[in-house]
Amino acid sequence: MSYLEYSVKTVPTGFSKVLHLNWALVLLLMSVSGIGFLMLYSVAGGSFNPWAAAQMKRFILGMSLMFAIAMVPIWFWRNVSGVLYFGSLVLLILVEFMGSVQMGAQRWIDLGFMRLQPSELMKITLVMFLATYYDWLPVNKTSRPLWIILPILIILVPTFLVLRQPDLGTSLLLLFGGAIVMFMAGLHWGYFAGVIAMGVGLVTAVFQSRGTTWQLLKDYQYRRIDTFLDPASDPLGAGYHITQSKIALGSGGWTGRGYMQGTQSRLNFLPEKHTDFIFTTLAEEFGFVGAFSLLSLYALIIFFCVFSAISNKDRFSALMTMGIAGTFFLFFAVNMSMVMGMAPVVGVPLPLVSYGGSAMLVILVAFGMIQSAHVHRPR
Amino acid sequence: MIRKPLRPLATIIKARATGQNPDAIEKENIRKRHEEMRDTSRVRAEGRLLVLGVAFLAAFSVIGIRMAGLAGSEAAEPRASASGARILAQRADIVDRQGRILATNLETFSLYAQPHHMIDKERVAKELVSIFPDLNEQRLLKDFTGKRKFLWVRKKLSPEQKQLVHDIGDPGLLFGPREMRLYPNGKLAAHILGGAGFGREGVNAAEVIGVAGVEKTFDEALRDPANGGKALTLSIDLTVQAAIERVLYGGMKLLNAKGAASVLMDVHTGEVLSLVSLPDFDPNDRPRPLVEGDAADSPLFNRALQGVYELGSTYKIFTAAQAMELGLVNANTVIDTKGPMKVGGHRIGEFQNKNYGKLSVTDIIVKSSNRGTGRMALEIGPKRQQEFLKTLGLFEPTPIEIVEASGGQPLLPAKWTDLSAVTVSYGHGLSSTPLHLASAYASLANGGLMVKPTILKRTSPQEGPRVLSERVAAESVTMLRKVVTEGTASFGEVPGYYVAGKTGTADKPKPTGGYYDDKVINTFASVFPAHDPKYVLVVTLDEPVETSGKKPRRTAGWTAVPVAAEIIERVAPLLGLRPQVEPVELTDITLASH
Repeated sequence: MSYLEYSVKTVPTGFSKVLHLNWALVLLLMSVSGIGFLMLYSVAGGSFNPWAAAQMKRFILGMSLMFAIAMVPIWFWRNVSGVLYFGSLVLLILVEFMGSVQMGAQRWIDLGFMRLQPSELMKITLVMFLATYYDWLPVNKTSRPLWIILPILIILVPTFLVLRQPDLGTSLLLLFGGAIVMFMAGLHWGYFAGVIAMGVGLVTAVFQSRGTTWQLLKDYQYRRIDTFLDPASDPLGAGYHITQSKIALGSGGWTGRGYMQGTQSRLNFLPEKHTDFIFTTLAEEFGFVGAFSLLSLYALIIFFCVFSAISNKDRFSALMTMGIAGTFFLFFAVNMSMVMGMAPVVGVPLPLVSYGGSAMLVILVAFGMIQSAHVHRPR
Repeated sequence: MIRKPLRPLATIIKARATGQNPDAIEKENIRKRHEEMRDTSRVRAEGRLLVLGVAFLAAFSVIGIRMAGLAGSEAAEPRASASGARILAQRADIVDRQGRILATNLETFSLYAQPHHMIDKERVAKELVSIFPDLNEQRLLKDFTGKRKFLWVRKKLSPEQKQLVHDIGDPGLLFGPREMRLYPNGKLAAHILGGAGFGREGVNAAEVIGVAGVEKTFDEALRDPANGGKALTLSIDLTVQAAIERVLYGGMKLLNAKGAASVLMDVHTGEVLSLVSLPDFDPNDRPRPLVEGDAADSPLFNRALQGVYELGSTYKIFTAAQAMELGLVNANTVIDTKGPMKVGGHRIGEFQNKNYGKLSVTDIIVKSSNRGTGRMALEIGPKRQQEFLKTLGLFEPTPIEIVEASGGQPLLPAKWTDLSAVTVSYGHGLSSTPLHLASAYASLANGGLMVKPTILKRTSPQEGPRVLSERVAAESVTMLRKVVTEGTASFGEVPGYYVAGKTGTADKPKPTGGYYDDKVINTFASVFPAHDPKYVLVVTLDEPVETSGKKPRRTAGWTAVPVAAEIIERVAPLLGLRPQVEPVELTDITLASH
C-alpha cells in the first residue's frame, strides 16, 4: 500500500520535525554510547587515547548523520532503497578484489579518510530494500512461492559475499535481519517451520555422522564444535577467549570490582578487550548490576522501536523499523551470548559500545531511518 | 474466497436511475476493500510482532539469567592455565637394580625463529653461529630472509646456550619449553637404554618417545600417566656395567679388535647384570643410522643381541652334555679321535692339524677336539641334536626385553644332515648371538634348568623346564673347569673364583662365501665360581689379534680368555663374591650333589 494514499498534510514540516523526533530513543542511544566511552577510557588504562576520544568523534559525526537523515522524509528513503542496496552490493563485490586484508579477513575498502566496511552498510540497505519489496508486493501474494524467491536472493547474495570475507558474525546478522522482515511481512508460518526443521535436521545429521563412514565434517571442525560446547577442554587454545571472559565475569560478582579496577582486562588477559570483548570489562568492573543495566538499556531501545513500529500505519516504515530493531537486537544478543559462552565466538561487536568506526556510524544511520519513519508517520 | 463485487449490478442500476456516477461507487468500494486488506495485514503483523516480542523477551531473560549465574560463580582459574609452560606427562625414570638413575628427564628449551619478527637478520645469523658453531650462517640467513614464518633452530638448549641466545635480544628468536631425556651416565649402558627422540612437536611441548633399547620396548609404560611416574627398574648393575665396559674396551684396543661384546648373567634368575657392545655411542646424542655399508659396523649395532656369529668350540660342551644325558658316554668314556675322518665327503680336521689319538670325553672338551665331538654328534644323530639345541633356545631370537633382540635370529643349516650335525657340534654352521650362548650356559650352570634372559630386575629364581639332569649339568661344569685348569683357557684362571669355561674360535665368513684366513671371532663362555655356579660371562671379540709373540695369535685362549679373566677379577668383588682361599675339590661336591 503506497504511502501516498495516506494524508501527507498532517506530517510535520520544517523545524517542527525536531519536536516530533523519538527523543526517548535518542536519549537511550546517548546513554549506551556514554557507557561505551567510559569502558574504552577504562581499558586504555585511564586514557582518552587511543580509543575513547576517537569513538566520541565518531559518535558526534554519527549523531549529526542521524538527525540529518531523520529530517528527510521517509518516502524519499523508500524510493532510493533499491539504489542503496545495489550500491552496497557493488561495494561488497569490490571488497573481494581491492579490499585490504586485516586480521586474516578482507572487509575494508580504504577511502583515504576512513575505512569503509560495506558489510556494515549492507545491514541497513538490505532491510530497507526488503521492506520496500514487501510494501510494493500486494499482501495476498506474500506467501506465493514465486514471490519468495526474489527476497531470498536479495538476502542470500550479500550473505554469501560477506561469508566469503570471511565474517560469519555479520553474515548471520544479515540472514536474521532479512528473515525478521520476511516474518513481519506475513510470510506463511510453514516456511519458517520448514527452514527451522531443516536446520535442526542438519545439525543432528552432522553430530550423528561423527565417527561413522559418512562423516559430514572434517575432524578439526568437530574439535572446534567441541571447544565451543566445552571451552574448558582447550583453555589455552581456541577456548581462551571464552575462559578468560568467563573468569572476568565471575570475578566481577554482583557489584563489580569498581571502575578501572578490572584485573582480567587490565592485565591483558583478554584479547580484543576494546572491541568484541568489551562487555567483559564492563561486567568485571560494574558486576551484574552494571551488565544488567546495559542489557536493560538495550531492551528499552528495542521496546521503543517496536512501539514505534506498531504505531506506524505505513507498511514500509513498520517493516524497516522492525528489521533494524531485530538486527540491533541480534547484534548485542549474539555478542553477550558469545562473551558468556552461550554462542560460538563469531566476531560480532557490542553495538555502540565496542570500539569501531563503521559499526558506530552505521547503527546511528540506521536509527536515523527509524527516526525518519517515526517523524513522517501517517497520522 | 467469495469477494464482494466492486460494481454490484443492483446498486449501479439504482444509481444510474437516480443520476449518480456509478464510477464513484466503484472507487468507494475499492477504497473500502483496500482498507479491509490493510487492516487484516495489520492484525497479522501485530500477531507476528507479539511473537517476535516474546522471542526477544525470552532471549533477554536467558542472557540476564546467564549474567546472574556467572556473577554468582566463583572466579576460578582454569586448572590447565598453569600448565602452559610445563609438560604434564612426565616420562618415568629408568634405574638400575640398586635404584641408581640411568635415564631421567630434564626441563630445557628449544629455540625457534619467527623471521618476520626479526629486527636484524644478519646479526642474528652471525651471533647464532658463534654460539652454535655447527650452524651454517649462509643457510640461516637464507632461511630468515625466505618466505618461512617459522623454523626450528635448535631442539635442545643448555641453560648457558639459552642465556647466550637470550642476550642476542632479538624478538624473532623464541624459546619453547621442552622435556628432554637425559642419560646422566653418558655412554654407560647405551645399548641397553637405546635412546629417545621427539615425537609430535609443538612450540610449547614435544612428545618424548623411545626410539631404541628398553626406552622403545617399554615406551608405553614409561609414558603411561597411570603408572604415576614409577621408575622402571632394570636388572643391570651400574658399577658392574661400568667396570666391564672399561675392561672390555681396554681389551679390544689392546688386541686390535674392531668390536667386542659381553654378557654377564645370573644363572638362577636369568637377569642380565651387564650387557656391553663396543663400539658404543652416547644415547644423549644418538648417531644417525648408517646409510650405506654394513649396519653391523655402526656403533648403534648391538653385537651382544643382534650379532649372530659362529661361536665355535664353545658349543662342544652341549654335545658332550647331551651325549652324557642320553647315556651314550660318561665323562671317562674313551673315544678315538684319530684321523682321517670323513663325513658326507668332507674331511673333519683338528685345529692346526693335530692328531690327539684316544681321548676321554673330558679330554675332548679340554683339548677341544673336533673329531671327538663329531663322533659323539654322530652317535646322537641330527634329529636329537636339533631337539636339544632347540630346548636351549638356540633356534629363536632371545626373548630379552630389548627391541633389538628380535634382530638376533640364529642362522641354522638349511638341511640338517650328518655333516651338519658334526659341524654344529663344534660350533660351525650354526650362528647365534652372545646372549644365546650365555643363556644356554646358564642352563648348564644352574643344574640343568632352562632360563629366559631378562633385563628387568627379579627377586626369585626362574623355574624353567629342565633340559639336563642335575648330575650331567654338574659334570659339564667340572669339564669346563678343567678347560681352565688344564686346557685351552689356562689364562682364564682367577685365583679364588674358580672360573670354568670353554673357548671358541671361528673364522669369519666372507660375504662372498667361504671363510677368511685371518679374521676370526673369539669367544670365551665362562661360569664362575665353578663349585657353586652363580654367574655366566660371555666375552666375544671381533677380529682380535694378539701380537706379543713372534707370530700373530688369533685363538680365544690368547684373546677373549685373558679379557674375561680380567673382567671376573674386577667384577666378582662387586657382585659380592668372596674369593675362596681354601682349595675346593670339585669332584667331591659334584658327587655329593647327586
